[in-house]
Amino acid sequence: MRVGVFICHCGSNIAGTVDVAKVAEEARKMPGVAYATAYMYTCSEPGQKEITDAIERDKLDRIVVAACSPRMHENTFRRTIMKAGLNRYFFEQANIREHVSWIGLDKELNTNKAIEEVRMAVEKVKKNKPLFSSSFKINKRVLVIGGGVAGMQAALDCADGGLEVVMVEKSPSIGGMMARLDKTFPTVDCSICILGPKMVDVAQHDLIKLYAYSEIAEIKGYVGNYTVKIKKKPSYVDWTKCTGCGLCMEKCPTKNAYDHFNFGAAPTRAINIPFPQAIPKKATIDPNYCRQFVKGKCGVCAKVCPTGAINYEMQEEFITEEVGAIITATGYGLMDIERLTEYGGGRYPDVITGIQYERFLNASGPTSGHIIRPSDHEEPKTIVFVACAGSRDKSLGVPYCSNFCCMYIAKQAILTKDHIPDSQSYVFYMDVRSPGKGYDEFTRRAQEEYGAKYIRGRVSRIYPKGKKMVVRGADTLLGTQVEIEADLVVLGTAVVSAPGAAQMAEKLHISYDTFGFYVESHPKLRPVETNTSGVYLAGACQGPKDIPASVGQGSAAAAKVLSLFSKDMLESDPAIANVNINTCVGCFKCLKTCPFQAIVEDTLRSGKKVAKVIETVCAGCGVCTSTCPCGAIQLQHFTDNQLLAEVNVLCQK
Amino acid sequence: MSTQKLKEIITKVLPDVETVICWQEGFDKLNVTPIFITSPEQVDKVVWNAACAQNLASYLPSQKKKVAVVVKGCDSRTIVQYMQEGLIDRDNVVIIGMPCKGIISKKKVQKAVNNEPVEEVTFADDSIKVKTPSGEKTIAIKDVCPSKCTTCQYPTPIISDHLAADAIQSDKPADSVYADVAELESKSLEERWAYFSKEFDKCIRCYACRNACPMCVCQDSCIAETRDPHWITQKLSFDEKLMFHMIHALHLAGRCVECGECERVCPMEIPVAKLKKKINKEMKELFDYTPGVNPEDKPPMFVFNVDEAKIKEHKL
Repeated sequence: MRVGVFICHCGSNIAGTVDVAKVAEEARKMPGVAYATAYMYTCSEPGQKEITDAIERDKLDRIVVAACSPRMHENTFRRTIMKAGLNRYFFEQANIREHVSWIGLDKELNTNKAIEEVRMAVEKVKKNKPLFSSSFKINKRVLVIGGGVAGMQAALDCADGGLEVVMVEKSPSIGGMMARLDKTFPTVDCSICILGPKMVDVAQHDLIKLYAYSEIAEIKGYVGNYTVKIKKKPSYVDWTKCTGCGLCMEKCPTKNAYDHFNFGAAPTRAINIPFPQAIPKKATIDPNYCRQFVKGKCGVCAKVCPTGAINYEMQEEFITEEVGAIITATGYGLMDIERLTEYGGGRYPDVITGIQYERFLNASGPTSGHIIRPSDHEEPKTIVFVACAGSRDKSLGVPYCSNFCCMYIAKQAILTKDHIPDSQSYVFYMDVRSPGKGYDEFTRRAQEEYGAKYIRGRVSRIYPKGKKMVVRGADTLLGTQVEIEADLVVLGTAVVSAPGAAQMAEKLHISYDTFGFYVESHPKLRPVETNTSGVYLAGACQGPKDIPASVGQGSAAAAKVLSLFSKDMLESDPAIANVNINTCVGCFKCLKTCPFQAIVEDTLRSGKKVAKVIETVCAGCGVCTSTCPCGAIQLQHFTDNQLLAEVNVLCQK
Repeated sequence: MSTQKLKEIITKVLPDVETVICWQEGFDKLNVTPIFITSPEQVDKVVWNAACAQNLASYLPSQKKKVAVVVKGCDSRTIVQYMQEGLIDRDNVVIIGMPCKGIISKKKVQKAVNNEPVEEVTFADDSIKVKTPSGEKTIAIKDVCPSKCTTCQYPTPIISDHLAADAIQSDKPADSVYADVAELESKSLEERWAYFSKEFDKCIRCYACRNACPMCVCQDSCIAETRDPHWITQKLSFDEKLMFHMIHALHLAGRCVECGECERVCPMEIPVAKLKKKINKEMKELFDYTPGVNPEDKPPMFVFNVDEAKIKEHKL
């Protein structure tokens, strides 16, 4: 065995705090090492040539590169040694940058640690076995989860590229948050007027299959071949018969149902079509409010429905779809206003959220576009907007900026002036964040042309005084306390992850951060990929995002799927579990613990029962390996003996 | 009395099964060994007394045909655990339950008679009379029973098709089961380390504990002896001994039915079961799970859950 070791300076990234020459010198003394050298940038073209030349010159058969994280360059170097004729699994990368040079300043200690890392990698690479991937066919259909603007964009781009698309939307209509908006910044154009045509395109596209009012029940499989179980929630209305005439909604005697579409800005009927442009424009019964369900008798809608579409007996239904890639566009949620106790969230009817205010502004909203105070339905004259209501507040667990509140508050201040010319808007803000194209001009316009008074400071308390709401806060620029008697207070509530985001991530096997936002593969260079191949992100499920960014990501995710599907076959990762049938005792503990159901029972010709791994389903997570009491199931490329070799060389001096 | 009833039951079930696994007298009265009964003539060899210590349920997973087995209360937990783990087919096992008031530890009896040769033993309800060259001695069973009997919660088998005697209720408090572990836990780290170092250093790696353990399923594939994976070497060093016992304990996490076979067979008198009991206590606290009690339970280490109620991995 002839191991070649290449130590990378990474400019001064590594060489700055690690004596790379000494690491190379020590590496030369390690058993099995035939060649060791240090190089300025091993990942560069001449750096890679250095490796291929050395393989040929010194007859090397195993390669160790001590450099950055394998997540950066493992594939680069695997390709390099493959070009030189070695199996790509005869390569190990010792991470002496993220794990050593970047985290310590003591050069001597760092050098020692780098030597240990190299020593471990050398021992591991000596135990490595050649592995070969097999190729499998891919199912060129794509699942889009979420029918908001990001999901719709992704679906349309995929479908226009010739892919069959399955779209699953949990609410009765697609459109997402954008469908609820009145106008969009910074152009102040009608939101539904630009979204509506897209929604129609989705509905009418031959290649897009839409499941509205449905949820993902289960996802099985792997990149290229997923089996998705979709739960169609019972709408209690036969959508094949419903014409969306709205007669049921008119006649429904239950007038106090919670309006999910309007975020509770006003009550609605128990049978409901969320908005005039809804797609599909079908009615849905809310069994939490419907008298037929709550009291067991009513049946008004069933009587008035001209097509007899009402079906109180409807059950949930499960549908299975096969797809090859998944675009996750599940959007965001909003912080529960009741958590903002000092602002009287949930206690005072005249303290509302930005999205509720948006619905009041909207012509198809509960007030047909008239701004009212919810308490007495009078027109408010003094309106206070509170930015960062919950955002950038560590104590509420939301240390991040919610991204678009500054902009929509400016927009709402402008629209308020348009709706009520003699009104006065105040905006309490921490910082005005308006870095997009035309954004800063827009917030300035709100102040300069529309006379919104911007007060830099936070609001400490909001309390009622007669018919008014007193907003008490600080003006940090003047260094004084301010009190404004407002008719209506609008909170720019914090953007949080969508409800159930974590559970969805578990189904998709993708990672999410502590706030429930999905983690992209690389924050800069792989912004729409996840670490699970075949699963992509679009829109605010990855973090708070405005419409242009969400649409951009939707298109980007679609492009990723189209490029994935440009091949007919995919290569499988051979680093998966493998059963040694000689030592397997057939206890099948692995079968029960496998999170991917990748293990099945197999009977040998001798009649002995053993575990068998379904190659394409195994994700290489290693749960079975740690479960198997006799070590018969081993994760290839990370076998017990390979890892023990690393541990042993570290511990046995 | 109950021996007679036991024989009757065995005679009754024998035609339906391949074999009945029971106890018979060994080379002397103190030693009882298993007997695999296949014909009615053998039934007379059956014994039932306080020396019937061996857990006969251990033979079940290797049986290919329908068999009957005689079990004490403690042994029955093994069967329940086998059922949970899918290691036996309940339809292929006839369980003959033997309510038990406590058994004797051979080693303790021998110590009680100063290791003199035992000539004759007579068993009474709660005592035994041992005859040695220096005379007869009556010993209470509770003075020479294994530690598991002192806290026994299941004197009557949890699961059985036939009961060879009237059921007995446990008179031991439930919280006494882990009292010895709690006592160990109250000691300092250094004291505990000293304790386990001393005990495990006695190990001669004969693997008797492993071979006797009903829940050790690996048989010839035990990683204490394999080279792939090569977890430990065959060296008789303390490190390797400790590692072996750690592996054994961890492989039994949430599976140990506390039958005490490991301790019974250990020639070096190492308290092998203590570490396993400690882990069982942890499993109880963490997953509210006791191995071998309810056939419908799922052992916590046999399932993959993204979230565990008492492990806060995901804050959301």
